[in-house]
Amino acid sequence: MTATPLIQVRDLVKEFDGQRVLAGVNLDLAEGDIKVVMGPSGCGKSTLLRCLNRLVEPTSGTIHFRGQEVTGPGVDVRALRQGIGFVFQQFALYRHLTVLGNVTLGLRKLRGLRRAEAEQKALHELDRLGMAEHRDKYPGQISGGQKQRVALARALAMDPAVVVLDEPTSALDPVLSREVAQLIRRLHDEKVTLMCVTHDLQLARSIADQVVFLDRGVVRAEDSVARLSADHPDPQVRAFFGRETGT
Amino acid sequence: MNFLEILVLLARGAGYTVLVTLACSATGLAVGLAVAMLRRLRLPGVLPLLDVFTYVFRGIPVLVLLFMVYFGLPGIGLKVPPLIAMVLSLGLIAGAYLAEVFRGALDSVDATEILAAEAMGLSRLQVLRLIELPQMLRFAVPGMVNEFTTVLKYSPFAYTVGLPEITKQAMTLTATTQRGIEIYLAVGVMYFAIFRILLVGVRWLERHYRVPGMVPA
Ligand SMILES: Nc1ncnc2c1ncn2[C@@H]1O[C@H](COP(=O)(O)OP(=O)(O)OP(=O)(O)O)[C@@H](O)[C@H]1O
Ligand SMILES: [Mg+2]
Repeated sequence: MTATPLIQVRDLVKEFDGQRVLAGVNLDLAEGDIKVVMGPSGCGKSTLLRCLNRLVEPTSGTIHFRGQEVTGPGVDVRALRQGIGFVFQQFALYRHLTVLGNVTLGLRKLRGLRRAEAEQKALHELDRLGMAEHRDKYPGQISGGQKQRVALARALAMDPAVVVLDEPTSALDPVLSREVAQLIRRLHDEKVTLMCVTHDLQLARSIADQVVFLDRGVVRAEDSVARLSADHPDPQVRAFFGRETGT
Repeated sequence: MNFLEILVLLARGAGYTVLVTLACSATGLAVGLAVAMLRRLRLPGVLPLLDVFTYVFRGIPVLVLLFMVYFGLPGIGLKVPPLIAMVLSLGLIAGAYLAEVFRGALDSVDATEILAAEAMGLSRLQVLRLIELPQMLRFAVPGMVNEFTTVLKYSPFAYTVGLPEITKQAMTLTATTQRGIEIYLAVGVMYFAIFRILLVGVRWLERHYRVPGMVPA
């Protein structure tokens, strides 16, 4: 009845030196949806995200992206990566490039746009996130929240099929975190497909109705935060979602 | 002959000093970059070769290598012109040292920026050229200035293979005029002038490419 999901993860396993970090993860993300993944530190959230675009090679299992298996050999990894906009926890802006240069790089080197076209597109994205006036500044000259916006603009400029965020608020203060939450909601309203990994209950609650709980390498539950904290049979899950964030 | 006249005569030698320094520095830069990049790309089988190169060429004295190239190679039928002999000795040794400078500077590039560039879909070579190289070169400036200065200071060896650079001119002048103190004082002044010009050039480049708020990770 529904179309095939944009991302479909099946039995995904990842071992680092024999240590099982992902032990059979199943996950679907439909186009236009937002998926929030939560879980204790070290449960494999970043690893899961990195498997999606093959920054990490899965040990076994399958990932279908836009209906195509992307884990096997012979997959055009660079094309796959261009379809997935990645926003890192520490923003990872290129420090030797200006805000504008950060956003145009991919457009010029991967999309082959000329400088003027790339700048026009980049400024459009920066403007959308309120960063156009900072176009000539370097990453060392802007705040954490502003870096986050630039990192988002850089990802969005490539028109990715999905934007993936790894703990987008962990380096930000509570006020900026709420701004990021607003931003994510807005992108969701604009039909951007999103996947977000976070420790931040408040962020999770404010951007999605349901969250995925990842623990010890598998998806333990998928439900609303309220139900997970109150009704879930596993006391560990209740404890995780019941904890106070203090923000 | 007054001090000024001595300076003028020495200046003729300065042309050779600058030539040798530039040729050897440029070679060192090219070789050092190539070695550091190849190391960074982790091509299988290449690493031991790079290790041997840097190990050997950092260990061997400039003069010994110079003589091996200039006086030794003709023995196996390879006649090498003086400037090329300098490039193959001093230039390659500078390359080995610069390779280490660049290796350190490359290690200062933030790993998550490299990861982000790969996540974007850039190829390994593009990441190296567009992210790592431009940052690394900025971090490597102090080390590069050091190495270029060393090359300048080793350039007098060129006279042993027949290039009439400053020091050679000074020796000839001293032999004919017996005014060693003034002449070598003038030599000192010339080397200092060349060093200053080098430094001014580097400072200009540094200012031009300066990125506000960027420090090694
Ligand atoms: N490249 C690697 N080599 C070996 N072990 C790794 C590697 N990357 C991650 N790990 C291990 O895998 C486990 C999961 O790491 P991961 O970064 O995915 O956790 P996480 O859920 O994102 O944690 P956090 O919330 O702290 O970011 C950790 O125990 C980590 O030590
Ligand atoms: Mg993580």
